[in-house]
Amino acid sequence: MSQLRIVGGAVHDPAAGIDGEVRDVCIDGGRIVADLPATAPVLDARGMVVMPGGVDMHCHIASSSVNLARRLLPEEHERDPALAPALVDADTLPRSGTGGTVPSTFTTGYRYAGLGYTTVFDAAVAPLTARVSHAELDDTPIVDGGFFVLMGNDDYLLRQIAAGERERAREYAAWLLSAAGGYAIKLVNPGGVELWKSGARERTGLDTPVGSTRVTPRAIIETLVDAATALGLPHPAHIHCNNLGVAGNVATTLESMRAVSGRRAHFTHLQFHSYGVTASGGWCSAAREVIGYVNAHPEISGDVGQVMFGPATTLTADAPVEYLLHKSSGRKWVNVDIELETGCGIVPYSYRETAAVAALQWAIGLELFLLSADPWRVVLSTDHPNGGSFMSYPALIRLLMDRAYRDEQIKRVNAKLLAGSALADGLEREYTLNEIATITRAGPARLLGLRDKGHLGVGADADVTIYAPDADAARMFSTPRYVVKSGMLVVEEGHLRRAPAGRRLYVRPAYDAALTRDLERYFDQYATVSFENYPVGELRDAACALGGEARGGAGDGAVGGPPRREDAPPSTLDHHHPDAPRTTPAPDSASAARAHRRPPGDR
Amino acid sequence: MHEGRMTDAAERGAAGAAERVVEHATCLGCGCACDDIDVIVADGRIVDARRACPLGVAWFGDGRVPARARTGGRDVPVDEALDAAARLLAGAARPLVYLAPDLSCEAQREGIALADALRAALDSVTSATAMESVLAAQERGRAGATLGEVRNRGDVIVFWGVDPMLRYPRYMSRYAPDPSGIHVPDGRRSRTVIAVDVGDSRGPADADLRIAVAADHEVATLTLVRALATEAPGAGANTLGGPGREGTPPWEHARQLAPPCLAAHYVVLVHDAEPVPGRDPGRAGALVALAQALNGPTRCALSTLRAGGNRSGADAAATSQTGFPAAIDFARGYPRYRPYHGAAGARLARGEVDAALVIGAAAGIPDALLGALARVSCAVLGPHASEGTFASATVTVDTGVAGIHEGGTALRMDDVPLPLRPSLAGPPAAAALVRELRARTMRMAGHTGSFGAIGAPGAMSPAAEGAR
Repeated sequence: MSQLRIVGGAVHDPAAGIDGEVRDVCIDGGRIVADLPATAPVLDARGMVVMPGGVDMHCHIASSSVNLARRLLPEEHERDPALAPALVDADTLPRSGTGGTVPSTFTTGYRYAGLGYTTVFDAAVAPLTARVSHAELDDTPIVDGGFFVLMGNDDYLLRQIAAGERERAREYAAWLLSAAGGYAIKLVNPGGVELWKSGARERTGLDTPVGSTRVTPRAIIETLVDAATALGLPHPAHIHCNNLGVAGNVATTLESMRAVSGRRAHFTHLQFHSYGVTASGGWCSAAREVIGYVNAHPEISGDVGQVMFGPATTLTADAPVEYLLHKSSGRKWVNVDIELETGCGIVPYSYRETAAVAALQWAIGLELFLLSADPWRVVLSTDHPNGGSFMSYPALIRLLMDRAYRDEQIKRVNAKLLAGSALADGLEREYTLNEIATITRAGPARLLGLRDKGHLGVGADADVTIYAPDADAARMFSTPRYVVKSGMLVVEEGHLRRAPAGRRLYVRPAYDAALTRDLERYFDQYATVSFENYPVGELRDAACALGGEARGGAGDGAVGGPPRREDAPPSTLDHHHPDAPRTTPAPDSASAARAHRRPPGDR
Repeated sequence: MHEGRMTDAAERGAAGAAERVVEHATCLGCGCACDDIDVIVADGRIVDARRACPLGVAWFGDGRVPARARTGGRDVPVDEALDAAARLLAGAARPLVYLAPDLSCEAQREGIALADALRAALDSVTSATAMESVLAAQERGRAGATLGEVRNRGDVIVFWGVDPMLRYPRYMSRYAPDPSGIHVPDGRRSRTVIAVDVGDSRGPADADLRIAVAADHEVATLTLVRALATEAPGAGANTLGGPGREGTPPWEHARQLAPPCLAAHYVVLVHDAEPVPGRDPGRAGALVALAQALNGPTRCALSTLRAGGNRSGADAAATSQTGFPAAIDFARGYPRYRPYHGAAGARLARGEVDAALVIGAAAGIPDALLGALARVSCAVLGPHASEGTFASATVTVDTGVAGIHEGGTALRMDDVPLPLRPSLAGPPAAAALVRELRARTMRMAGHTGSFGAIGAPGAMSPAAEGAR
């Protein structure tokens, strides 16, 4: 279907300031267009709510580690069989699968699309295993997507920091992204995973030496935050702070934010990093301190990482956390140390309303949402499947939109640790539909630097979700009536009908060719795969462009990670945060030249 | 996409044949998946596989494979053979799709798709070989590492009833104990090697400590070492394992084994997941439990050895698409896991399979299964299909070998993915053949309506499911 006019719906397009205005949305050739001939096919959306397709910027759906979690959970899969959908497209084989908190690949794609999501990013991939992620994304239909590349405990990177070679560290980050076909730089417990692998058990503070006194979590964060900026990546460094899940970790979280003060950075699953500690050493909420800092610092963004009651699978590169969870919960446990790069830990888990800590985590997430001053910068996630499945997003949306319902739920939970929580004091805020559209599509798309996603302006990707209004927001958001992906109707009357392949979103930043000589020596000495076999090579879709113009398909599609050309295109910084302070220019001339040229913001 | 880098080498030899070299080729001779092989090709044959071990040299061979398609014992065009295979599958009530070794991950994924479309049973060699390890990891989890961590960190290496030199010849030179690593700068001299001989299964010859454990004592020994690793400080070993343990052979073994492990920075327990005569079925679980427990007082990884031909890839591909690693049944239109009674061997023994599709190298299929498969109507798509065991199968289509004639991806025994760099042209690639077979089978089934996966009437949309 190349043309479609969606007629008469109440459009929620926050990027354009459109808040429920009844208007048509026109689609031609997979893009939003201004108008169509009168003969174009029509979709009657009268009485319905029209939004851009959902964008999930932080979940775990396609990686070697995710697959280990799948393998660990046959009992969950047995309980949640997923029949193949009844597709009308004869060229596409409908696939069965299994669900649970870590669904099989095809089922993941179908279920995301069934919720109205059209763009999804896996937030943690070890570059050594990037081929597995690409294969799994190939098997995750409908949604466009990509993944973030784990760098915060990378041995070669830490060596460069120890040697004071921050420029080389940046070039290496560029090479890693290119080699893996990843989209953004990810830090997970920077330095802390390496310490765990070395046998340390102490908590990792921001200035804890990781081998060398020059290498600290602070130095790792600074280096990679600056690298993301200097390379002109569409998304800034994506940071999972040290001391996740530890009472009192708010101090580490705020210190990490201050460490990159004035620089663009994304702090992920804030809920897991917003715990205070009482005088007696117990847990309490520190949501107000964290969200207060975020509200006051426009250069910082975050996603919440809400906990939802019910089954979950904790699955993270933050392996030491999982060891502790295994010890405290007694549940089965996977640990895999991943050579030279990172770790992986998995423990199945369940958040219970009756459990005091789980109730506190749930409350903290809601506090963060309800006290957030800027929905563009604090967006929705459950850190699927860590805080709960992505299938629980509609229930979360209801908690945000419906105060009466929320108050009822608060009464049901264990209130033992909620004494200092703003939620217990009664927060009146109810998210509007436009705010929901912001935290589930417009905001994440903007934070990811995806210019053509998250809005319905002319030229945008024709990813559109149409809901039937319902007093029960959970019901409304769990069963969109129609979903259009790249101009194709994939969900009709609530049924999945088509399942085209999604597009891969990744970047191929240029890097200094001199780096590879040093890297080859390093590989010979310590790696167990050949340097030549490490990069994933050419991918089916073209790379996204750098310099803040992350427009899928507009990249140069260079193969295998090209060395930097002298005429490399200039990059831009923070194109969606024109009010953010100027980032410290990188010291070398090429980067400085790139860093100083920036077009006006598009906001 | 993963074409090997081919360079014209200088002409060599009396014949003066032009040679080309495919560098950094990945060998699937065993699960080590060494990816540093230079394959030398002359006159359309492999003449050398540099750096490969004897097992690898044998796996590459000269690279010559038949390229025939046969039905009913006569040669036919591939097209005709595929139609015959499609007829066989479309007409079957309880088909089985069986993934044999030497397939790329891409071909494995196509095979799983076909099984899904057919509502077939799906299995791989894993169920008849490494299932104890798979089930132990599902029961308890795992404490593992990729092989580079073994190389760079392992300072105490315990070989539990296995000498890798026999079935994994380069394990010791590429991973441990020989190479130097970041935390073991002097290689072998930085490491302590412990050989645990279990029954007749001996550990490596060059060990610093050797312990001989009777086959019926191995699980008790592992359990007691675990108890020593987790005991409260000062509790004393005499309290372990209940009364009457003191002085027993497992108790003595554990007293020898625990101290070096507890003194290590990073223990690596190495065991063989492939069939080992006389192995206690509880070994895999006891090893996982010990490896996990040692992560209290120190660090530990269990290194699980797997044989060649991308077996780990089959487990991973099946898991990603279905949620289960092997022994899967799609009969109800969705995957169910039947590791105990639904593996291919059990189904064949009960006469439940009326047609089988074997994809991959028959030579890698356990003998007991080969016999059972030979008794049902069988289509075989794989290297040397037209020769040997399956020569009399209903349909055979020869393919190349993944990694020699076909590109794609394979997983090392530790699930690290590697590109395959084919050195020779070959018969049609397995992945493409299976895809084509699926299309033909679907068309035929669509005409005859003999199975119901297409369109799956009554299937609920994910959105609707989500609302429940």
